[in-house]
Amino acid sequence: MDEPSPTSDPASPTNQFGSLNDLAHELASLEDLASRGSWRSIVDKVSRARSLNLLTRPHDHLIYLSYNVLALSKLRRFADASNEINTLDDFNSHYYKYETYPQLYPNRSGSMIPFSLRFIHAQLPLKLGNRQEGLDRFYLLLKFIREKIKEKESNNLHDSVGIWKRRENFVLNCLIGHHLGDKEFSLCLDLIKDLINRDYLDPVLVSKLGHIQMQIGDIEGAKGSFNRVETMLNERKNDEYSFLSEVQFRNLVNRNKALVYLVGKDYVSAVREYEECIERDHTDVVALNNKALCLMYLRDLSDSIKVLEKALERIPTIALDETLVINLCSMYELAYVNHSEIKRTLNNWIIHVAPDDFDASCTRV
Amino acid sequence: MSSAPQGTHSLAFRVMRLCKPSFHVDPPFRLDLADLCVGEDVFDDPLAAANLPPLLSTQLSKSTDSSDLTYGNRFLLHHPSDAMGFSGLLLLPQSFGAIYLGETFCSYISINNNSNFEVRDIIIKAEIQTERQRILLLDTTKSPVESIRAGGRYDFIVEHDVKELGAHTLICTALYVDNDGERKYLPQFFKFAVANPLSVRTKVRTVKETTYLEACIENHTKTNLYMDQVEFEPAPHWSATVLKADELHPADNSSTREVFKAPILIRSGGGIHNYLYQLKLASPDSAQMKVEGTNILGKLQITWRTNLGEPGRLQTQQILGTPISRKEIELQILEIPSLINLDKSFLVHLNLTNHTDRELGPFEVWLSQNSVHGEKNVVINGFQTMVLPQVGAFGSSDFHLNLIATKLGVQKISGITVSDTREKKTFDPLADVEIFVESD
Repeated sequence: MDEPSPTSDPASPTNQFGSLNDLAHELASLEDLASRGSWRSIVDKVSRARSLNLLTRPHDHLIYLSYNVLALSKLRRFADASNEINTLDDFNSHYYKYETYPQLYPNRSGSMIPFSLRFIHAQLPLKLGNRQEGLDRFYLLLKFIREKIKEKESNNLHDSVGIWKRRENFVLNCLIGHHLGDKEFSLCLDLIKDLINRDYLDPVLVSKLGHIQMQIGDIEGAKGSFNRVETMLNERKNDEYSFLSEVQFRNLVNRNKALVYLVGKDYVSAVREYEECIERDHTDVVALNNKALCLMYLRDLSDSIKVLEKALERIPTIALDETLVINLCSMYELAYVNHSEIKRTLNNWIIHVAPDDFDASCTRV
Repeated sequence: MSSAPQGTHSLAFRVMRLCKPSFHVDPPFRLDLADLCVGEDVFDDPLAAANLPPLLSTQLSKSTDSSDLTYGNRFLLHHPSDAMGFSGLLLLPQSFGAIYLGETFCSYISINNNSNFEVRDIIIKAEIQTERQRILLLDTTKSPVESIRAGGRYDFIVEHDVKELGAHTLICTALYVDNDGERKYLPQFFKFAVANPLSVRTKVRTVKETTYLEACIENHTKTNLYMDQVEFEPAPHWSATVLKADELHPADNSSTREVFKAPILIRSGGGIHNYLYQLKLASPDSAQMKVEGTNILGKLQITWRTNLGEPGRLQTQQILGTPISRKEIELQILEIPSLINLDKSFLVHLNLTNHTDRELGPFEVWLSQNSVHGEKNVVINGFQTMVLPQVGAFGSSDFHLNLIATKLGVQKISGITVSDTREKKTFDPLADVEIFVESD
């Protein structure tokens, strides 16, 4: 049951930030559904909250709208998500500013639009096949973010500067992903170069650069990038790159090594590197998936199938990934003349275990 | 992939092209909690800035705890680069794709026993049939597979360097003894076509003793081509240097320069890249060089890479320079004075070389009157014809022509002609040379 907002002193932090429910009406429940991948339930919950007029404050409406738009996007209902966003005025409208409601948000100013709405607004056209519109929106968003950073800097709002810089980094990474998907490799390299120049130099990013170089075929360039990552591991000081645990960092380096072997067709060595990763971290899905592929290239189709099946069995919530499932189905199609039955079994299992946003068409059943 | 006709065979071939896998890329809808649960400017408020991060990070840990049945990782970001949707997960080739000359065709072949009985003594063969030949890739005749149990499989991988264009057929055959003791023969055919990945257009220009070769490579494939190596292999007695433009971004931050040099990538479907080579004859005096007819410069060796370093290799045909015609006599200008004044005579230093193996001459040198360019503004000062004595076999002779310019500005010395008075042979005049005439 929902509760009315607390009437005690709004300036007291524990009243405003004690739990998720302080941020928005029943936010904890929304968040819980989201982390279970129950996007259909989120759509229902939002619809119910609206029809029962449970959302009393402007920011509640916006946050619920954001979750709804996200859920529709996750369910691949991109047109519906788009229509939902279009029910809003211009994002920069005064309706969505804290200062427009001084009684509700005393001492607070600025935009209450959750940033994710801007991001989803930019990405949706790309998912709907309107590439140019989507890219234009992303680049405009980047410009918007950079203006915000300047504005916050000139007002000495250091925490906000940090948040907006993270958003800038985020949008640049999205752009790299989209250009990479369209095989615009030179542009990707330029964008990563841009990120590195802004001191976003980190081993995960440099590894991805190496992967892009590998994708292009610039093997020597990739090796150079991977060597750089290994140097970062060996030379790092105590709290450098703290977002990566020791295990994650070492696995990153091993996976990079494995890739170099794989590209050189030394699949035996690649398997060995991946096995080191899996031994250190049995949830390293990339190592598991790629090891299976190497086994197949070593003519060992049976074992490659076993590796993928075991991964799904033992760590389903991590291993359940569309790419891994596509690989497994390709292997089934090769191994069995009558593969429909085994694929159907897989499909049935997936339906029971998978989150709402899992694209089950990948089994090609 | 294709399967055997129903009911007639216990065995069936399953085939999958095994080119390199590719990275899966799909930018996801994955977010940071602070971008979803609160307004974008909320961190301007110092209270929020202090209290939100711990709240959100606790929630993040909860939502992505792998020991719980949670799919938080599918919608929350761990690392900013997760937004790229490029995790390093490899994807098996999903279709046969296009195959090009110079690449290597690789295939996984699985022979399945989809009957309920064992089959024995299986002789498996895999061949490639092209327009011109039949190439054997695999043959187990000498050591047949003893048996394949019901539901069992025998796998192999074949590779073939593609050296011909056009239709190719992968022929897989199995000769086996089935459960009834009958000898059966199963042929299966998988067709594919090989296309040309590139075309190379060349242009040759000769300037004095240097030949320049410009090669333009055009990409006809559906993917970008990474030019791994493009090397010119000169013909004997020639040497080649590649000419490159200077680095375009000298102001680069040194950390990025370390990270990578810009690769040469030729865009798919019609992209081009040009290469320029400077060629010189290794020993210009060698008489063997002056062979009439074609002038072979050399070949271009091209190695490219596509997805995940998949290599391809091609060599061009011999590239020809401008044909050398047999020249008995060669006349060349060695030196012209740098300062030429109006109406003041000047000396031009010339050389006459006899490329034959016999004595030639005596010669006469003059400026021919058939001027295509209107009236002549540079004429011989003094006797209009210069007489030169004989020149011995493979010898040469230096001389000077006394000229005078009658007009200012850019003028041409044109029509310097030499003729052999004994053999009564007049050679083609020298090409026009430009000079600049200044006033006193």
